[in-house]
Amino acid sequence: MQLFNTLKKQASFIAAVPALIWQILFLYVPLLFLLSASFFKRWPVFNVYDLTFTNIAAVITTAHFKIIGWSLIQAMTIATACLLVGYPVAYFFAVKMRRWKNFFLFFLMLPFWTNFLVQAYAWFFVLERNGLLNRFLLSLGIIREPLQILYSPFAVILVMFYCYLPFMILPLYGVLEKFDLRLIEASLDLGATSSKTFFKITLPLTMSGIRNGFLLVMVPAFGEYAIPAIMGGGRYLYVGSLISNYFLESRDPAVGSSFTTVSGCVILFIVLIISRVMASPKQIQKQER
Amino acid sequence: MIGIRLEGITKYYNGELIINNLNLTIEEGKFFALLGPSGCGKTTILRMIAGFENVDAGKIYLGDEDITHVPAYGRPIKTVFQNYALFPHMNVFDNVAYGLRIKKMSADMIEQKVLRILKAVDLEAQVNKYIQQLSGGQQQRVALARAIINEPDVLLLDEPLAALDLNLRERMLLELIDLQEKFKTTFIYVTHDQAEALTVADRMAIMNYDGEIEQVGTPKEIYEFPASSFVAQFVGSTNSIKGYISIPQNEQAVLNVAALGEIVITLPKEKRWARDGNHAVLSLRPEKIEISKKPLEGFANHFTGVVESIVYQGRWTQYKVRLKNDMRLQVFEQNEEHFPQEEIDYYDEVHLYWQKENAVLLEK
Amino acid sequence: MVKSLVSRVWLPVLASFTYLFLYLPIIVLIFLSFNASDFPFKWDGFTLKWYASLLHEPELFIALKNSLLVALTSVALSLVMGLLFVYCGWQYRLYRFMPAFLAAVALPEIVLAVGLLSFFSFFSVPLGLTTLIVGHTLLGLSFVIPIIRTQFLELDYSLTEASLDLGASEAQTFFKIILPLLSPALVAGGLLVFILSLDDFLISFFCSGPTSQTLSLYIFGMIRLGVSPTINALSTMLLAISSLLVIAFCSLNISNRGL
Repeated sequence: MQLFNTLKKQASFIAAVPALIWQILFLYVPLLFLLSASFFKRWPVFNVYDLTFTNIAAVITTAHFKIIGWSLIQAMTIATACLLVGYPVAYFFAVKMRRWKNFFLFFLMLPFWTNFLVQAYAWFFVLERNGLLNRFLLSLGIIREPLQILYSPFAVILVMFYCYLPFMILPLYGVLEKFDLRLIEASLDLGATSSKTFFKITLPLTMSGIRNGFLLVMVPAFGEYAIPAIMGGGRYLYVGSLISNYFLESRDPAVGSSFTTVSGCVILFIVLIISRVMASPKQIQKQER
Repeated sequence: MIGIRLEGITKYYNGELIINNLNLTIEEGKFFALLGPSGCGKTTILRMIAGFENVDAGKIYLGDEDITHVPAYGRPIKTVFQNYALFPHMNVFDNVAYGLRIKKMSADMIEQKVLRILKAVDLEAQVNKYIQQLSGGQQQRVALARAIINEPDVLLLDEPLAALDLNLRERMLLELIDLQEKFKTTFIYVTHDQAEALTVADRMAIMNYDGEIEQVGTPKEIYEFPASSFVAQFVGSTNSIKGYISIPQNEQAVLNVAALGEIVITLPKEKRWARDGNHAVLSLRPEKIEISKKPLEGFANHFTGVVESIVYQGRWTQYKVRLKNDMRLQVFEQNEEHFPQEEIDYYDEVHLYWQKENAVLLEK
Repeated sequence: MVKSLVSRVWLPVLASFTYLFLYLPIIVLIFLSFNASDFPFKWDGFTLKWYASLLHEPELFIALKNSLLVALTSVALSLVMGLLFVYCGWQYRLYRFMPAFLAAVALPEIVLAVGLLSFFSFFSVPLGLTTLIVGHTLLGLSFVIPIIRTQFLELDYSLTEASLDLGASEAQTFFKIILPLLSPALVAGGLLVFILSLDDFLISFFCSGPTSQTLSLYIFGMIRLGVSPTINALSTMLLAISSLLVIAFCSLNISNRGL
């Protein structure tokens, strides 16, 4: 009986572990590879004595950091824009439209369920010279000649904003839906104005949703490849495009690994900072059994 | 019918010793109550009997069988949980039938038994409803049915009535007593509510904050003859009067209370501490004191005081009377008449009387 | 509640504009997929010819088949490993390692993709559907595990005890009680991973071999060649299929809520 019990316990442990092993094997080991490949001359990694810093040196240049910086700024801009639009919309549905909220949310998310390439592609017809936007502006007389919007940084940002907006709305909606509205009533009852209530009560208590949404948008946007490739005409270099270039086109995986490592560190650092800045107010959590 | 015996039970929680060498025998076929303040460990003991908590030392016997290491699903002991723990994804029938289905009983048998027990707890009409559609009282009865239908040797009830309002609770208590008498199963009922315990129990045990059993006995024994101040104060209310014992030759034993005088007492038999000169505490229940504005005859103890507070509580009125040594005694007076013969009001001077047999002398 | 100008006017306006913004390109797309003309903005009449032409694209069907295969396998793997991790791992406090799964979301996908590429090429693992499944499952675990864990924490533990108390073994308790009660999380997680996998571009881009074309890569390839009405038809079809799936899922949810 005892033996059977211990066997059962072992089986339980063995069953639970694969997920962790998978993560370690396919995420952390490859990351280690990237990190170490940055320091080796040849590819794939052979000899310990091939250690070199030339790869790293090749990427610590102003040009590279300009690209990283630009991608970072773009990612944060998009995340902020998504937040500024997404929060009121999520608030509107979660708080104001209590009865129909699921219905409206469903329709809001519908475009989200399509392939994002299709979503991006759809914008061609709006943004091109003969497209909907230009025709609209021309017909209103706001412009005299069609604008070249496509294949510009603006197009890239706009389409990324479009594709990532649902990623911001979903976590915000999740947090706002669970938000206890009586807290707002209590605050108003105690004499705070609506806006004070928002900044002192609602905002801090929904901060986890804000942070998650912000990171869910910012991180992928930083490393985005496909949308700049389609919408930017491949003319502007972002982190994603450069990494792809190193690995697939110019076939310089060693330098590519270095650049990926450096970019990865930068974004991780930013994520840590943002997690600190957008921390939820301290609350006592339920005890784990 | 089988009883439970706990021998030398010891339990640690997070390194802290919460139950130390506890011994308890629960007779078969009786309704047993385990009473104690919240956090004293009574639920832990119940869970150990059920098999949800490990015993660090000691043994649990079900009849003659040592079940200490038998897992929960192997024990013929069933539990009614405090929050009912009804399965939300099953309806009433499936919830109640659960244990029988595990035993692989035939579908016909199961249907028969389930409908019979639902009738016994008056839930026939709800058989296909989901538990979210039931009221608190109905859910409670489903939990009861689900446990009892398996004909366990022992039924454990963990504060099952805590979530119900007062009237429903009183009704359910009586129903539980009926059920226990009908099935003759050993019931072990855990609660912090002394009124519940006194109502249902054939025998009961009181636990203190340190996880020790202070007293075991019938409700009457425990109420009228508490073994310690803790029991006296936890079960019902009492006035605890401190003083020292004085046994003058050939005369009544008295308790000498500072600045008040002498209270005539009955000395407990065979208690080594009940000696002349020792300190002791007198437990005097409020309902045992007679309060009157006019002097009365025939009581061993008589003191006067001033009424400080009056609380009308329906069945009785609670008075707080300040004696000449500034000690306050609580007095319950049953409201026997619509128009009482004498009206006692704030700041009235009153006489308090009681017989020496109606108070209990305790060591501490 | 005080109804200020903000909540009366601006919020609904913003919400409406957001709707408009989200649907505009798509409506245009759907519209044009029925356009008989080759040129986008010359309406030449209603036609289904672009849809018909899709049927003659064998590569599309191969890509679709591959994507589905990869998606379903990734869903199955993520759910099983994730569930076991949360449920069996609870008693060993393995949830302390949950932050380890955050890395897949804290780093841009391109870093993961490139890392996997290095990993596979070092061990000379041929790139194909299997390597894709590996990558998608990796992503899937990061999403599935928090979802399952949240639902697991909300599980009333006394339900497990009640089941054991009533005589069910641990295995029986798992299948009769735990699994049904966790199913909303499993379904939500599964759906999420399914869509993630179908939609995934970066990992497919770097880790698929020459023979393993996926839907995203196919679409990307077509777009790279330029705007074409065939893509419009394909896009509309995909939109319709996803919508139907989501509607089916939501109605399932609603009927469950009726309990």
